[in-house]
Amino acid sequence: MKAGTHEKRTGKAYLREMMGALLAYTLLLVASIVFGRPMSEGLLRTVVLLSPMIGFCFMLWAIARHLGRLDEYLRRNLLDSFALAAALTAGLTFSYGFLETAGYPRLSMFVVWMVLCASTGLVTTVRALRQR
Amino acid sequence: MKNSIRALRADRGWSQADLAERLDVSRQTINAIETGRYDPSLPLAFAISRLFGLPVEAIFSPDQETA
Repeated sequence: MKAGTHEKRTGKAYLREMMGALLAYTLLLVASIVFGRPMSEGLLRTVVLLSPMIGFCFMLWAIARHLGRLDEYLRRNLLDSFALAAALTAGLTFSYGFLETAGYPRLSMFVVWMVLCASTGLVTTVRALRQR
Repeated sequence: MKNSIRALRADRGWSQADLAERLDVSRQTINAIETGRYDPSLPLAFAISRLFGLPVEAIFSPDQETA
């Protein structure tokens, strides 16, 4: 019999890959702030300021690999949660677009990512509690 | 779909975790199948069938027979 449970093995592999991606993202983010911000306007500055997205792509890769390792039930559950979280994010950000027209302050596009993370956390938690 | 996995597992003295490990799936998956919240794919159904040494139709049956 294989050592460790399915959850432990997939969880460990995901954690290892996601931590590596987060480390790459953090290093690139710091480098882009330190070196990119003082640079003069131009293509090179744009590329340097956008470089943390390489780390972000590693994170997406880690998530994709995690989905590939999970068993069919957990994968379906996670994909359902992602879909619901994406729908919730679309609803919230679309609503805020109308509120901006009504005079609410304009927000950075970075907020969308944070709303998506919060929505995913909320949906995953609610679904886990409902399955108990 | 109904199934007799809980009874078959109990006959062998296996816990949900034991069965999950033998099938290389999570314990949640076994629980979801046993409680009828999830119908396994054909490959997983055949893996279960092989493990218990029974044909798939002896383990799984539809809720209502269709005409």
